[in-house]
Amino acid sequence: MIKIEKRNDVSQSIYFLTPILAIFLTLFGGGIIFYILGFNPIEALKFFFITPISDLYGLSELLVKATPLCLIAIGLSFCFKSNNWNIGAEGQLVFGGIVGGGVALLFYNHDGFYVLPIIILSGAIGGMLFAMIPAILKTYFNTNEILVSLMLVYVAKLLLDYLVVGPWSNPEGFNFPETRQFSESARMPILFDGLRIHTGIFITLITVFLSWLILYKTYLGFQIKVSGLSLKTAKYAGYKGKTMIIIVFMISGACAGLAGVGEITGPIGQLHRNISPDYGFTAIIVAFLGRLNPVGIIFASLIVALTYLGAETAQIFLQVPKYTGQVFQGMILFFLLGSDYLLFFKIKFLGLKKNEL
Amino acid sequence: MNTKLKVSEISKIYPGCIANDKVSLEFGSGKIYALLGENGAGKSTLVKILSGVVKPDSGEVFLNNESIKLNSPLDAKKNNIGMVFQHFNLFETLSVFENLSMDSDKTNEDLRVLVNDILKKYNFKINLDVPVLNLSAGQKQKVEIIRCLIRNPKILIMDEPTSVLTEQETDDLFISLKQFSKDGILIIYITHKLKEVLSLCDEVAVMRKGKVVSVSNTTDEKIESLANKMVGENLNTIKKKINNFKNSEEILKVSNLNFKSDDPYETNLNDLNLSLKKGECLGIAGISGNGQNELFQILSGEIITEGTSIMFRNKEIGKLNPRERREYLMAFSPEDRIAQAAVPELKIYENVALNNFKSSNFFEKGLVNEKKIKEHSKKILSNFSVNTDNVELKSQFLSGGNLQKLIIGRELITSPELLVCFNPTWGLDVGAINYIHETLIQINEQGKSSILISTDNDELLKLSDRICVIYKGKLSKIMNADNVTAEKLGILMGGGSID
Repeated sequence: MIKIEKRNDVSQSIYFLTPILAIFLTLFGGGIIFYILGFNPIEALKFFFITPISDLYGLSELLVKATPLCLIAIGLSFCFKSNNWNIGAEGQLVFGGIVGGGVALLFYNHDGFYVLPIIILSGAIGGMLFAMIPAILKTYFNTNEILVSLMLVYVAKLLLDYLVVGPWSNPEGFNFPETRQFSESARMPILFDGLRIHTGIFITLITVFLSWLILYKTYLGFQIKVSGLSLKTAKYAGYKGKTMIIIVFMISGACAGLAGVGEITGPIGQLHRNISPDYGFTAIIVAFLGRLNPVGIIFASLIVALTYLGAETAQIFLQVPKYTGQVFQGMILFFLLGSDYLLFFKIKFLGLKKNEL
Repeated sequence: MNTKLKVSEISKIYPGCIANDKVSLEFGSGKIYALLGENGAGKSTLVKILSGVVKPDSGEVFLNNESIKLNSPLDAKKNNIGMVFQHFNLFETLSVFENLSMDSDKTNEDLRVLVNDILKKYNFKINLDVPVLNLSAGQKQKVEIIRCLIRNPKILIMDEPTSVLTEQETDDLFISLKQFSKDGILIIYITHKLKEVLSLCDEVAVMRKGKVVSVSNTTDEKIESLANKMVGENLNTIKKKINNFKNSEEILKVSNLNFKSDDPYETNLNDLNLSLKKGECLGIAGISGNGQNELFQILSGEIITEGTSIMFRNKEIGKLNPRERREYLMAFSPEDRIAQAAVPELKIYENVALNNFKSSNFFEKGLVNEKKIKEHSKKILSNFSVNTDNVELKSQFLSGGNLQKLIIGRELITSPELLVCFNPTWGLDVGAINYIHETLIQINEQGKSSILISTDNDELLKLSDRICVIYKGKLSKIMNADNVTAEKLGILMGGGSID
């Protein structure tokens, strides 16, 4: 007989320590997988997690990948904290990229300090508007935001596909599915010569700080928290539930849009089919690994970014497919959910008594 | 055949509370036994042990002098112990007969013959082929009882069976129970209603704080003596002085209020009219599920109606949400104190901040003013004698009584003109109930008005100046409390009419 009981009180420190436990379990699980594949697990894990960040270039790449992850995850934390399940950050990222990229293409032969801010702003607005579709459908037509936001991801991706193949493709591009290169003043300034790390990281850090302020110090943040814990209470307290759903989706979409525009004006410099290696989906893992807490999300984004880098190094040195990165991301989520379950519930093994048989 | 049931030295300890402390009792067939006690006295734990739901830490149960093991509800059934719980365990969409056959290993033909025999014998009038959801609470309970009777029980345990019944249904139930007893079934009747003990039972065991404090014949007891044993202290009963409000200012007027719900499990409200004077307490009685929930939500603003249907101090407020209504000095204490009036995972001061209105300055320019909220919370904790002074404590660690004091305190410390409360004392112990009642009387004395929606008639009769009954979404005429008796309420609550 196995009995599962809810734990009454969960200590705050253990709540924030379990993600670290999940990471160690992932390393262990990954070691086993590498062992089965015939590699020395310690060596393989070293290639995966240490080699990629053992030089300055590696560290800069880590931050380049962590920047969008952190930004999207922080936006998602607004939604998730208030019980709104926005699964479509990837679509909001792509749509932000489309709008920002479109503006960047308008300015392709312009120079000026004003170009980049306009592009960034339009990217954020693009993501925001795209996120409002599931929000408005949810508030006025009672649709399920999980489905709508998820399906809109494919709408955005196909739209991007159409644009880069058709109307927006580079006239001098020999029919490659990509747009022109953006002008210099439409690009995020590079922080250090020779490295790809760009000013987008400051946008992310400012967003993290603002989010912390909103979530923990404002009335809006308090309302989000209460709605997340009990919608009945939020209704009783008189919070405007519909407005709040739309606000959190707008914040979340704007962050994803910023991440998209940061990618295309940062490391990429143009629009093409694959402007995001599923950052929008991976950020969901980041948000939960960071416990929806702004500081936690910073650390979580660094760790998950490392799985992207590790996958690339492992592909080069171990000849394993780069999808190993996704295996690791999956394992992190699996172990996190597993340890959460044990955190909130205890399992009792009761011996079978003879007379029960 | 005689049945003897004996529990011996039963103990069950939960973390932080001794639910049963060496409980020993003896029962014999042919009598109806009452197990009396307040909420939390340990009655339910003992019953759960007898029905195999909970295992005792120590102690034994003897049936006809043989020790029996009750490891699961199935064991209880095998030993012919039948149990009717307070909440029905029926499949609403299945027919009565399908519900009965699910639990029986007889063929459908045999079962139908048996059930018809039982119906005839005890004069139950139930159509076996209608879905359970069409039955009244009393009929559903009969289905539960028939389900036990199919198994020829030697022992029948009833857990607070009258809490959902009208007075008339209760009378019917008592007649049946007496008949069962005559047929040799040992009946254990769990309740906290003293009158029922005296009118129905032969022997009464009183439990307090996990212990059996007295066993006696009901003929030797009076309501007062049982109440004292149950509570363990001489209660100074409070009774409100009923005032005449003819010349007082009218503070609230609800006129032609209708509500039609899309949800089939909600009750529609039909043309409600009521008015409330300054300093007055209006009681709204009724069996739960007759529209009280919807009415509360409409008064609090969780459900929005036409502006003119609710006038508060001559202002249209029907369209305002709860927060906006609080600005007009209204306050609300919902029925569900755990999941609605407060959030268990939030700290006390955060729960206090839920009642936010402009002059509280809890949130200045959109920012949280933690210091202000905490000061305010401390004041509530001390003014309303909540059993802690730590505003950082999560409210899940407060007992029901303390949580309710916190909620009532939060609503009242702003000195509202009107408090609407819905079952403010359900599940509380007598001490906390008295405190809440005194508080509610006090606010009327201070010239503030209140609406008390409650399913507890004693509470209504004690606190209200005027009373009406809600039945199937309609209000009865509003009566002065001095003309109202529990019997009158019972008739109206069951859909009957008086005069």
